[in-house]
Amino acid sequence: MAAQPAGTPEPLLPPRTEVGFIGWLHANLFSSWFNSILTLASGAILVLVLWFGIQWVFLIAEWSVISELGGRFLLGRYNTEAACDGQNCFWRPQAALIMVSVLMGAAWGLQSNRVARTLAWLVAGVAAAFAFLPYDFQTMGLDVRVLLLLNLPAVPLGWALARYTPMGTGARITMLGVAIFFLTLVLLRGLPGIPFLQPVSVVYWGGLSLNLILAVGGITLSLPIGVSLALGRRSNLPIVKVLCVFFIEVFRGVPLITLLFMSQTLVPLAFPEDMPQNSLFRAAVVITLFSSAYMAENIRGGLQALHPGQAEAARALGLPGWQTTLLISLPQAIRNVIPAIVGQFIGLFKDTSLVYIIGMLDVVAIGRSFIQSNPEFLPNARELFVFLAIVFWIFTYGMSYVSGKVEEHLGVGQR
Amino acid sequence: MVSSSRILTYQGIPVWRHVQVIQWAAQILSGIVVVALVVWFFTNMASAIQAREIPTGFSFLSREYQTPIGEHFLPYESSDTFLYALFVGITNTAIVAVAGVFLATALGIFIGVSRLSTNWIVAKLAMVYIEFFRNVPLLVQLFFWFYIILELPGVRESIVIADAFFLSNRGFSMPWPKPTDYSIALIWLVLAVVAIVAGALVYRWRNRMEERTGESSYPLIYGSVVAVAIGAAAWLVLSFASGNSPFFLSIPEPQGRFGNIVGGFTARAGLLVLLIGLVMYTASFIAEIVRAGIQSVGRGQTEAARALGLSPMNTLRSITFPQALRVIIPPLISQFLNLTKNSSLGGAVAYSDLTNIAVTMTQTAPAVSIFMLIMASYLAMSLTWSVIGNLYNRQIRFVGG
Repeated sequence: MAAQPAGTPEPLLPPRTEVGFIGWLHANLFSSWFNSILTLASGAILVLVLWFGIQWVFLIAEWSVISELGGRFLLGRYNTEAACDGQNCFWRPQAALIMVSVLMGAAWGLQSNRVARTLAWLVAGVAAAFAFLPYDFQTMGLDVRVLLLLNLPAVPLGWALARYTPMGTGARITMLGVAIFFLTLVLLRGLPGIPFLQPVSVVYWGGLSLNLILAVGGITLSLPIGVSLALGRRSNLPIVKVLCVFFIEVFRGVPLITLLFMSQTLVPLAFPEDMPQNSLFRAAVVITLFSSAYMAENIRGGLQALHPGQAEAARALGLPGWQTTLLISLPQAIRNVIPAIVGQFIGLFKDTSLVYIIGMLDVVAIGRSFIQSNPEFLPNARELFVFLAIVFWIFTYGMSYVSGKVEEHLGVGQR
Repeated sequence: MVSSSRILTYQGIPVWRHVQVIQWAAQILSGIVVVALVVWFFTNMASAIQAREIPTGFSFLSREYQTPIGEHFLPYESSDTFLYALFVGITNTAIVAVAGVFLATALGIFIGVSRLSTNWIVAKLAMVYIEFFRNVPLLVQLFFWFYIILELPGVRESIVIADAFFLSNRGFSMPWPKPTDYSIALIWLVLAVVAIVAGALVYRWRNRMEERTGESSYPLIYGSVVAVAIGAAAWLVLSFASGNSPFFLSIPEPQGRFGNIVGGFTARAGLLVLLIGLVMYTASFIAEIVRAGIQSVGRGQTEAARALGLSPMNTLRSITFPQALRVIIPPLISQFLNLTKNSSLGGAVAYSDLTNIAVTMTQTAPAVSIFMLIMASYLAMSLTWSVIGNLYNRQIRFVGG
């Protein structure tokens, strides 16, 4: 307490309307008459929406359509008789899921931060929780339940793998991830001649797993392709530049749906007839290239925003051109446009729902075809699509949340 | 001597390490690879076309299309040609694109500004809207609205508002101006354009005067009064000369046993679903762009404006927003492009957009040619938006910047 000259009154406390809860209300909701009207109007909207929304969710909506579709949301028609021809191939996606859990655990072991740990346990926990769904043994056998529960020990296994074995370097875990991606594809597709891996045609792939496979493959490849295109567009070699500009502008100027249609009608003609054809592979390539074109523009923006002094300093220090690009320019450029890049990843994930065009039954199309073939569920279509919206939202919002954390970690906007 | 002889015998950089040589070699090599690939694709395609006798060429364009189109704004019959049907598809896409762009921009600006409101509830509501609609695939949203519209009452039990707006599972009908006589309506439209140009000129003149003298010259009021006056005068003169007004307001009303709605303008279910979905989806992106743009204007600008005594509304209108526009316009244009391209999802909700019509056409016409045509159409539309955007961008950029 500073000594006060005699005769000065005690300093007054701030008025009650400026501090505490009332102060908060005053500052944020009722600072002026206009603001008060806004508060009342928007508050009324909020109350109405909540009132009817909660009533709809708990009293009016019939969520039975979700349980009726059940596992088809995740796997489409994969676990049907037609797909597997008498064999039990339901274990294959489960095995793939366990590998993913191992990978998530390994990522946590490598990074040892909260986000990685939460994500790993979340994935494994949700997968294990599916084992307790009230389906009878005919639709979901004991073996499936056990495989689902195995996701829980898979996380610490991956963690230990990254912690206590020579696997625990970023490069090796990345290689493990790539290996697991291809192993998943092989597991789902099967290999001819191997007893337990009977081939399953890709037309039976579907559900959310199809969206995720397309998204993971597309995201992993669209970034390097986009980087090369961006560098090509900025290079001073005329032929390379023209090719890159042409590619980017054509893919950005045409809707993805049109490109997907073309991939099914025109692209097969462009290859010799005896070459093996796979409609899903073509669609995956088109989605990836489409996303790469947008990615290239995002990264070009990042490169343009970079001060030329960075590259000049690197050249002055004697770094050759490719090292200047790879070690100096690109890392900074990419760091600057992380939100745009993640936005493009989210866009790619959302665009995987367009494979309905080529007749694949992804998670949206399987819901739609279910409604169309079971008209008694027509009034429940709303519940179905609200559920699908929430499923997509969880993934996409999760992606933007993680990107925010990554930005924080890299200190974007602080340097 | 040794060193000078070395200098004399210096041959320059060896060819295989010469940067320019390497670069040109790489370029020519990549060029050759791409050309070879394209040639390979085309020979494969040509042989496949020959082997399977796939028709090619553009002669089909003058044939009769013979297929109905679900929704069309231009008069269309099955006996019309392929070319005309494609044109109908382009107008269908263009109408959705233009209407969607206007509505989405309005909604997006509204939500983007709300997102920055000092009012806590308004800001949070806007945030929830943005985070939800931006993160859910457009296709899911379209299907949601599709089944909502499907659940609406039938056309005979339409929801009626003020005896003029009808909402049913067939679509939405509203009053709409219709020309009484096409030639007179056209004359009035031309005069209306003249009125708008005159208004713009007056606006500019008053604006310059305000800048020169520093006194309020009310450019907006003067400009709009001139424009409205010329338009109204043209309307009156034309009405007196021809006996009836150029346009009349056609009000929809149910007719006959089935209660079909006649008159006005009816947005059928497909158009309605597509428009609602596209506008809600794109508005969430535009809102984020507007928010980022407004935030990019330095705090000092707002503070200075407030210190000069401008009201919050005036600060936003004449200080913050004009500066934010420079940041907003380029990404906004790319959202317009996205909206136009996303309208190709119309086929999923029973709207006959360009892609939908073209894909149906491939059953009776050469697919190669049709895809070339629709790619050209979409590229042309993209180009149109880019040109408009760049022209506007040039108007508002920093002077000398």
